[in-house]
Amino acid sequence: MRMPLDELLIAISLAAYTLGAIALLLYFFSRDERQRKAGAALAIAGCASQFAQLIVRFETTHVWPLLNLYGSLSLFAAMSVAIYLVFAYRYKLWFAGGFVLALAAIFLAYGVTWYEGTMPPVPSLQSYWAKIHVPIVVSSYAAFLVAFVFSALYLFKYYAERAVEKSGDRGAFSAWLAALPSLPQLDVVVYRAVAVGLPLISVGIITGAMWAKEAWGAYWQWDPKETAALFSWIIYLAYMHLHTRHAWRGLRTSWVGVIGFLSIIFCYLGVNIWISGLHSYKV
Amino acid sequence: MTLLREAYAEFVRTFGNVLFAVSLFVVWGLLTLVGVVVDQGQDPSQYFQSYAAPVARAILRLNFDNVYHSPWYVGIVALILLSLAVCTFKRVIPARLPPLRPVSVEKMPLHATFETQGDAATVRRRLADLLTARGWRMRDRVFGGIEWSFADKDEWARRGVLVAHAGFVIIAAGTTLYWARGFSGEMAVVKGTTAQVERTGALVRLDDFAYKIAPIMTKSGMVYQPIDYVSNVTVTGSDGVPKQMTVRVNHPIDVDGTLYYQSSYGFAMRFALSRYGRPDTALAGRTLLEGDSFEIPGTSQSVVYERFAPTIDKQSGMPTADPRVNNPAVVLSLTQGGSSLGEALVPVGGSVDLGNGWRLTAQNYALYSGFQYRRDPGVPLVGIGAFVLLAGLIVSFYFLPARLYLRVTELGPGRCEVGAAATTVKGYDVFESEFRGLMVALNPVT
Repeated sequence: MRMPLDELLIAISLAAYTLGAIALLLYFFSRDERQRKAGAALAIAGCASQFAQLIVRFETTHVWPLLNLYGSLSLFAAMSVAIYLVFAYRYKLWFAGGFVLALAAIFLAYGVTWYEGTMPPVPSLQSYWAKIHVPIVVSSYAAFLVAFVFSALYLFKYYAERAVEKSGDRGAFSAWLAALPSLPQLDVVVYRAVAVGLPLISVGIITGAMWAKEAWGAYWQWDPKETAALFSWIIYLAYMHLHTRHAWRGLRTSWVGVIGFLSIIFCYLGVNIWISGLHSYKV
Repeated sequence: MTLLREAYAEFVRTFGNVLFAVSLFVVWGLLTLVGVVVDQGQDPSQYFQSYAAPVARAILRLNFDNVYHSPWYVGIVALILLSLAVCTFKRVIPARLPPLRPVSVEKMPLHATFETQGDAATVRRRLADLLTARGWRMRDRVFGGIEWSFADKDEWARRGVLVAHAGFVIIAAGTTLYWARGFSGEMAVVKGTTAQVERTGALVRLDDFAYKIAPIMTKSGMVYQPIDYVSNVTVTGSDGVPKQMTVRVNHPIDVDGTLYYQSSYGFAMRFALSRYGRPDTALAGRTLLEGDSFEIPGTSQSVVYERFAPTIDKQSGMPTADPRVNNPAVVLSLTQGGSSLGEALVPVGGSVDLGNGWRLTAQNYALYSGFQYRRDPGVPLVGIGAFVLLAGLIVSFYFLPARLYLRVTELGPGRCEVGAAATTVKGYDVFESEFRGLMVALNPVT
């Protein structure tokens, strides 16, 4: 039996992300240019294949493909890789790609487990807002994933440097660590990723409120999804305020970046899967 | 007076502190999270069922069962708005790049020095031309006989935070306008009947209601997906002219500035009560909606119409998940003093013995449509506020007000040294790569 084209494209993306993650993780440790080029090519191929899959799915089913976890996780993975690619190209940050691609592959594979076939959308989702609100919110999550990876790398480098300093080791590990971007550079990258995500999630919350007004008559109903998104928004707002303080910039804001992404995962998956509400669109 | 002045100074110092604002965000965030984790608006007994008794008591005492309307939540939002106002006047409005003064170039974190060809005037002109072409505003000043050039970029963008804060205030004003002048409510209209909206006097008659269900076989079984809810109504507004309209989810109707939304549907039931075979008039002319109840005359027992079961499986006699009507029944419960005495599944057209000679017959059903109505004069303000907030966020994140200090010193005939330093309103690291690129552009030889 032949595999449908959209499923084939997802399989290609998954394979490309997995292989790309391996190549870029090897590059992270070895700094071998061939691995970087292979990893970057696979990331681009996987991302292109995913966007093609979303288009094919829309064309064949005529149902907006982002209205369930399968579709939205697919866009989440694709946007994470796309935003990472822009950052990597713009700021020469290919070394972090292995982590982004690995996370993208995990989320995409998890999304595939929710695939139940094509379903017509429920009445509340039959709105032009679905084409505006969902991609914006999912893109903001993707930007926060990139911010999370660089926050984690900041923390890794910070604590590794301290350990090296304490032990007095000046060996290969120390030299490898020094070749990573400096802590201020990593902090600026996190800031720039949050600066992409925060306006997007703000627009997402606002467009969601406008949609809710049209569908249910009220901007805000204190639905678990709305409040979880508000919680994440507050965390990133706190990040931006803390980042204005020199003493808090860097280590502490990186921890906020990590906590912020955990809140995003709770908002995105936790609320959809475990807590029932107006946004329980799983399949 | 001094005490008052000191108290005011302390208030401004505390509420104008960014870390205080962040602390408020943390508390706000945690309270918001409580509302996500703890089910809101449940009956107190539900919390004792779901949590250990001390936790349930704490939830109820701290108003965590309705946290978003609790004094804590409203108070923290009020404190944030206060902090926002103080920060706006104390920090955001006065925030500006440093005054035009000479600096110790080498002591600034972002600095560079390079030699270049040409006399001082020519070099200054060359630098000014290049920076002006890139959008920098040039100003020259002489301090102690040394001529300094100052270049500013995107200085206007320092107002971004102010604009974002203004957006919040406008949104808050729009929301307040709704609380002061708007209203909302819900109503259920049974097919073929008319209901009146008290606040507006509008009449809404439900001519017809239909729902469409698509049975779809998925990988994990049959799913009955609702795909449409349609209410055909005749509405009579302030002009007294009946108008036929259609309400769907995402497609509200507007009657005299009040919007009507399709929010729910259900099955209204007519029941007949009898005792020892003689009809009783207690339920004559009454239509019950799901959740409604009535008392059995002369007893302290009540019957609750719990829910409608559209399809009963003929083999098992149990309700199925299919929401389409095919062999329907109703679920009734008998209660006394708030405690349930039992539940019964009664087919539509069938009856049930209630004891003491009482018998209840489920006669027939009619669909009803649930509408939410709302008049919100704050909508334009909230929309404008949201736009202003976003504009402020974009300006503050994507435009970086920066200052370049340039000192041109003649080293000899046709040779000059350029000392350059930079600062921004967001520190130095965020501008480092741009500064390095700028230095390369200013001195292509390097």
